Amino acid sequence: MLKIKNLHAKAGETEILRGLNLEVGPGEVHAIMGPNGSGKSTLASVLSGREAYEVTDGFVDFDGVDLLDMDASDRAREGLFLAFQYPVEIPGVSNMNFMKAAVNGNRAHAGLDPIKGTDFLQKVKECASLVELDGRLRDRSVNEGFSGGEKKRNEIFQMAMLQPKLAVLDETDSGLDIDALRVVSQGVNAMRSSDRSFIVITHYQRLLDYIVPDFVHVLSGGKIVKTGGKELALELETKGYDWI
Amino acid sequence: MTGSKESFTLNFKAPEFSEELRSEGAEFLQDLPVPNRKTERWKYSPIAKLLNGSLKTFGSEGLVWPEEILPDPVPFLNSYRIVFRNGTYVSSLSDFPVAEGVVCSPLSEVDSVEFKNTYHRKEWVGAMNATYHQDGLFLTVDKNVILDRPIVVHHLTDGSDTASFLRHFISLGEGAGAEVVVWCSATDASSGMCNSLLEGHIASNAYLVIDKVCNEGGEIFKFSHEHLIQERDSRLKINTFTVKGHWVRNELEILAVGAGTDSVFNGTYMPTGLEHVDNHTTMDHAHPNGTSSELYRGIVYGKSTAVFNGKVFVRKDAQKVNAFQQNSNIVADQGATINAKPELEIYADDVKCSHGCTVGQFDKEALFYLKSRGIGTDEAKALLVKAYVGDVISSVDRDEVRNEIVRLYSERHGWE
Repeated sequence: MLKIKNLHAKAGETEILRGLNLEVGPGEVHAIMGPNGSGKSTLASVLSGREAYEVTDGFVDFDGVDLLDMDASDRAREGLFLAFQYPVEIPGVSNMNFMKAAVNGNRAHAGLDPIKGTDFLQKVKECASLVELDGRLRDRSVNEGFSGGEKKRNEIFQMAMLQPKLAVLDETDSGLDIDALRVVSQGVNAMRSSDRSFIVITHYQRLLDYIVPDFVHVLSGGKIVKTGGKELALELETKGYDWI
Repeated sequence: MTGSKESFTLNFKAPEFSEELRSEGAEFLQDLPVPNRKTERWKYSPIAKLLNGSLKTFGSEGLVWPEEILPDPVPFLNSYRIVFRNGTYVSSLSDFPVAEGVVCSPLSEVDSVEFKNTYHRKEWVGAMNATYHQDGLFLTVDKNVILDRPIVVHHLTDGSDTASFLRHFISLGEGAGAEVVVWCSATDASSGMCNSLLEGHIASNAYLVIDKVCNEGGEIFKFSHEHLIQERDSRLKINTFTVKGHWVRNELEILAVGAGTDSVFNGTYMPTGLEHVDNHTTMDHAHPNGTSSELYRGIVYGKSTAVFNGKVFVRKDAQKVNAFQQNSNIVADQGATINAKPELEIYADDVKCSHGCTVGQFDKEALFYLKSRGIGTDEAKALLVKAYVGDVISSVDRDEVRNEIVRLYSERHGWE
């Protein structure tokens, strides 16, 4: 599904990723943990095509295509989804128009006609109920005036609408209370399948009680320094990162 | 090479009404200079090129209305209509209100009008209008009479090297109300100048709503001057939308001459290519308890230029005034230019005034967010643009007018 080889990236003059290697197979859930400043969010940004980062070396193969060669829109259309750590507020653009444009952008890429109005609404209904996103929020401007929890639920709602091959969740749990965390995790778990993979970036082990990973990686100094099973997360929780 | 001021007006013909104003205008026309780059008010909108043309005024005799332009620019709006073509009244396409307490007709058919506007004493452009104005809307509404439908004032420029001069006069009595849509069109083959002036008097407790739309093809230098005088407790809302225009100068002056007035004025501009759009606004609070709210948003594309100059005066005795001004600009392309200048002069000490002026690029985070969901760059930008100016367009009260403006912008900028 995803093969990252020797990835180097910098923001401005600062090199943040320094030879990162990672392989994610279909249906797998990989958690990436690590101290602040280790490069977790940079990895999410580089994968999704944020322009502020420059890739200086390495290669990313995404289901047979060169991911780094595409712009952000095409990466999304190839099936990559990023759940933002800080979802952006866009006044004046309604959540529904936004999603319709997104769904149709993806459909056009796949050679499909724009979605029918009734089909779209049906899909919205299903996906919104998955994360308990009520109608009020669906009809408002994108993320405008949403609480932190509502924003994160909106991210998972969008993920459900777009049915990606690979979803990168960038600290989706940060700032969430336990109820919101439960709702968000339920949404993610409902979408787990044998052909959909997840990279779950988190600072806290707590999330991994809800979304149980197949692999846990520790990112430090711009590369993965340790890989284990889900028990590694617990170990990190008790011992911190210093022992690695 | 620049033509002379004198030769420029040689082929302009003045009709025979409002003679007093014309003769005064002619005197000032001789004395006033053509503004140049050193004239502060015209610094960013030089008009020297205009003088290169050899323009003339036209009558309407024997002309056929062009097919590509609807005489009724807001087709779904239930409205009255007064239509002009190259400055001349077209009676066959017009439909006036007939009601007790309302006088509405072409200016040329009114015996005498007491113009109070003195723009012709200050600017060469204004002196030309006073001297050569061909026709315009004349509207008076008596005390406590509310006009039942909006009046659409439609001006069409059609033909090369045309000079058109329009002068509109609106006077609302105490407690009266009226809505006017001022719409300007031009065929793609048109060129020349369109010079229009609107003088509006809003008596106490009356309200006036004006939606002004410029949607002109061709290459026309457009001068548009609105002067509105608000008496005590009157309300004014004027929106200025420049949809399309080669060279457009919108000047808006609002003078509050009584207490408790409310003035709302908004505008949008999105020039492309080599277009030029200038918005000069003045809000003058001379009395207490007035409120004003101004929102202008623009995006400059290609090698276009835009100018915003917004003056707000709060005079010494204008206590408890609440004045708001916001001007935001997006420079979409490298070759585009915006000159923005907010000017606030506040002499009263117990007032609430806020203003903001921004010049920036597209919000990169918002753009990335949209793209990260599979929306292409162009479509993502269109969504953001539509939201950005849509905010201003939403202040149009009439659905039919608002939808038509959105439709024209959509068509032009590929929003959908």
